[in-house]
Formats: sequence, C-alpha cells, structure tokens
Amino acid sequence: MLAALLISAAHGQAEDRLAVHLRSCAGCHGADGNSAVPGTPSIAAQPQIFLENYLVMTREGIRGTQLMQSLLKGMPDREIVALAKHFSALKAKPAREPVDKKLFQRGKSVAAANRCASCHLPDFRGREQMPRLAGQREEFLAEAMLAYRQNRRPGGDTIMAASLYGIAEQDFKALAHYFSRLK
Amino acid sequence: MIRKSVALAAASMLVFAAQAALAQDKPPPIWKQGQPEKLKDSKLAPNPGKMTETEAADIPLKKLKLPKGFKVEVWATGMVGGRAMAIGDSGKKIYMGTRGIGRVYEVTDEGDKRSVRVVADKLTQPSGVAFQGGSLYVMAIDKVLRFDGIENKPDVAPVDLTAAFKLPPEQHHNWKYLAFGPDKKLYVPFGAPCNICEPPKEYAQLRRYNPDGSDMEVIATGIRNTQGFDWNPKTGEIWFTDHGRDWLGDKGPEDELNRIDKPGNYYGYPYCHAKGVIDPDTAKGKKDACKGVTLPVITTGPHAAGMGVKFYTGEMFPKEYQGTMFIARKGSWNRSKKFGYDVINVRPSADGKSAKLKPFMTGFMDPKKNTFWGRPAYIAQMTDGSLLVSDEQLGAIYRISYSAPKK
Repeated sequence: MLAALLISAAHGQAEDRLAVHLRSCAGCHGADGNSAVPGTPSIAAQPQIFLENYLVMTREGIRGTQLMQSLLKGMPDREIVALAKHFSALKAKPAREPVDKKLFQRGKSVAAANRCASCHLPDFRGREQMPRLAGQREEFLAEAMLAYRQNRRPGGDTIMAASLYGIAEQDFKALAHYFSRLK
Repeated sequence: MIRKSVALAAASMLVFAAQAALAQDKPPPIWKQGQPEKLKDSKLAPNPGKMTETEAADIPLKKLKLPKGFKVEVWATGMVGGRAMAIGDSGKKIYMGTRGIGRVYEVTDEGDKRSVRVVADKLTQPSGVAFQGGSLYVMAIDKVLRFDGIENKPDVAPVDLTAAFKLPPEQHHNWKYLAFGPDKKLYVPFGAPCNICEPPKEYAQLRRYNPDGSDMEVIATGIRNTQGFDWNPKTGEIWFTDHGRDWLGDKGPEDELNRIDKPGNYYGYPYCHAKGVIDPDTAKGKKDACKGVTLPVITTGPHAAGMGVKFYTGEMFPKEYQGTMFIARKGSWNRSKKFGYDVINVRPSADGKSAKLKPFMTGFMDPKKNTFWGRPAYIAQMTDGSLLVSDEQLGAIYRISYSAPKK
C-alpha cells in the first residue's frame, strides 16, 4: 500500500515536472509545438529519436544555443524522453504563407538532385534521427543550412554538413522555401 | 543556361547532368559518394544510435544465443553510446569511448555490481581508448589526452598530447580505435574521409606512434576504415577488420579480416576490395587494380561492420577456443536485408593464410522482421577468462562465461 502510494507520488511529481517543462517550451516553440517566433523552429511532429538526440546533445553542451543548454542542464533522460514523445505526437500546422512558384520549383529540383528524400523521406516528414523538414519555418531552415556550411553546428554527425557540400548558398534559400511550404 | 538544354533531355539524364555539374564544382556528399543511379531512390540510411540510458530490465537478454555451456549476463548499463573498452592495470576498471555523446566512461567492478562515472565529456567523438603504464589514453577526432594514474586519482587533470600526434583535419571515418602493441607503441588508424574516393595522403592507413606522439610510422596503407585490431599472441602479427565500401548493393563488397605479416603492406583501397573486387568508380576498366594488394585472409560478410577483434588467451573457455579470435559485427545499414549484429569466432590456420569463421553470439537481430535491438561492438577479456562484449546501441556491457555442461 505504502509502495503504491510512493509510486503514485513519484509519478505525480514527474507529471508536474513535465508540465513545468512544457510551459517553458511553449514560450518560444508554441503550446502546440508550432513556432510563431522567427528563428525558433517548430518541433511538433518531429521524429521522437531526432528530438531525443538533440535534447541530449544540448544538455551535454555539444549542440544547441546557450539558452537551450541552460534550460536542459541536468535534465534526466526520462524527462527528455517524455518531452520528445510529447512533441513528436503533436500535429505540424505550418503557417499559410504565400508561395513563390519559381523559388519553390528551384528548391524542389535542388532537393531532387541532392537526394534529400533518401533520409528525410519523399514527403520530408523525417524519420528516426533525421528531422522533419516539411512545414518548418523558412528562415530557420535557411539559417540551419548556412550554419552547417560555416561549421557553426558542431556536435551533429558529420553527414549533414557533408550532404550540403557543393550546394550553392542561394540554393539554401530555395530549399528552405520549398520545404517550408510543404505540409 | 545549361539547365535549359538538359531540360529537353530524358529525366534520368537530368539527374545525371545535375550531379556531373555538382561534381565539377566540389566533391559530392561524403557518405553518398559512389551511390549509383539505380539506387537513387534508395532509403537506406545509417541506423540511429540511442542517446538515452537503457536499464538492465529493458534489455531482452533472453534473445541472445550462445554455444552450449556459455552463459551471458548484463554486466553493466548506463554507458550511453559506449563502444571500445580499455581495461586498467588493476583489472577492476574499464574505460569506454563513445562517438556522438562525446563522453568517456569509467566502469568500476565492485564484485556483485558495477558503478559508472564520466571521466571526460564534450569531446568530438572520443572513441579511442587505450591503457598502458598506469595511464589512460583518449583519442577524439581532434584531440589526444592522457590521464596519468587515473585508477587511483579519479580527478587527475589530463595531459594534452594533441600537438604531438598531428591529426589531420577530416572527420569522416576518423573517429579512432586505439591499442598498444607488444612493442608498447600506440597504433592509430586514419580512415578514408569518404565512402569511396582517392584519399588524401594522410588517410586510409594504420600508423604507430611512441606513447608521447613521437616517431610516427605508417605501417600499412589502402585501409578504408578499420575499427578494430589485435595481435596474435603466437606470431605477434596484427589482425584487423576493415569495412567494405557502401552503395554497391546487398552483396558487398564484403568486409575484410586482414593480417599484417610485414610493415608496408598495401590493402587495396580505393581500387581493390575484399578478395579482388575491382572498384567500378575508381578503377573502372583497370584489370590489374588488385596487383600488389595484400588480400584479406577472409571476408566477413557484406556491410557487416566488423568492429573489435580479440584473440582469446584465457583458460575459462574450452580448449577449442585457444588461439582463436572473437570479432563483434555491429551490423549493416547499407543493405536491404540486415546482416551481422553478432559476435563470430574465427580460427586462423597455423600459417595464418586462411581462417574458419563460425557464429558465436547471435540474437541481436530478427531476420524475419528485418529489425535489431542491439549492436555488439567490442570485446575485452577479463582476468578470469570471461569475455565482455559492449553493445553500443544500448550502452551496456554483457559478460560471457563458461562452465562445462553436466553430463
């Protein structure tokens, strides 16, 4: 009986902590995980493993922004997994923004030539350790690619930086436009 | 205006032309080099690692199968991403390197249980660990550290040896496996920084250094990516695994198990793979591409990812295991049907020119479902003759022991 009470109390505490974390995430990423803040990514419908890996590496101080590192400092794995699970289950709701047809087509053809879909899948919903690109904020995607190019994104695997090798920087904008307009 | 003219051509030509145009500017993406047109829609990608802790209760140990008389137990958990193991001089402490999570662990054997602590973190893929003369050596892609007397001085500050080792800058395939040889020198591989390419001259080779980083010698070349080696205690020769290239289909070219019978051997990369497979990208039409190449003693399976090699010198296992080696195969990603995910036992012939391979520890993979749950990576031998096997996927160490079955 006592054991059961202790377990339920511990469970309750974990839930409280998750609620506190979620309020903190919502401040920038949106309560439903769809960000309305320029430069801040949407995290709804991202693959769970991708979110876990990102959160762990940020906690370890080898990825992410200083703000994210300070928020995650000392967070136990189980809370990271709970957060990742929560956001991966939410729906992506990309903002309805106008499509520049020419830029969209250019992005589409650059993505095809560079086989982005091999890992991120043909509808760019991502999988496992590889993030969802469809409906992500345009300026965030463009900046992320530029950061890989300029070696400002340490801590990730070497593969993404390598995969952007040889793509012209103006095409990052086309790719970002294309991915951000997909649902 | 190139784009307009190719738009008139067939769709397949368009992709080819786009790639050719890219290739002229800069090399194509490192890990997709050599991906042929017919595999352009392939969705094969490296398997994701697990970066959170796995508890012993969540490890499906019962699925593991070993020959009769052998027993496996979960020996330690909580070393997320842990792979190569170096045993301290006391035999009670095991140091483990990692890749993505950037940590080095110390696992202390406390008899009935193990404790784990992080001795270094925030490193760039510190996969290389080796122990000699009371010191732990750690090698990341861009850093070399030595922890003197760490077994008794847990907070010892490392000595930075990076400058002496002159590590080249490329990252891909340049996470390290480290080991000290019978000559007390430190052996360090430098992988090809690509899937298939003409490697710059500092790469695709095995080197040895004095422990302080001086007197570097290249002892073998033409090695794509070796992640494990050991010395045959009878002959003193090094045996090493080498991963075959990707994107040539499910059949291979197979991984290699090689032997260094003399310094200076050339093992064929990037022109000649496995037992004489001529590379279609780098050696097209060159029939003599395997001339002067030291071919492997045996091949160890397509995309199998042979990692750690350990010659068995203990007395716990039956006599038939004396003089044989164990090899952990982490398992494939660039193959439609998964392969490997096991530990094999290899018996070399007396002259070392041939060898026989048989499965030893299986069950990490479900061939029917084409799924896996664990990835055996490295093997260490305890003083009592039992073997430790690291599982990089679940951050665990399993212990394999033997007692003769009752008759």
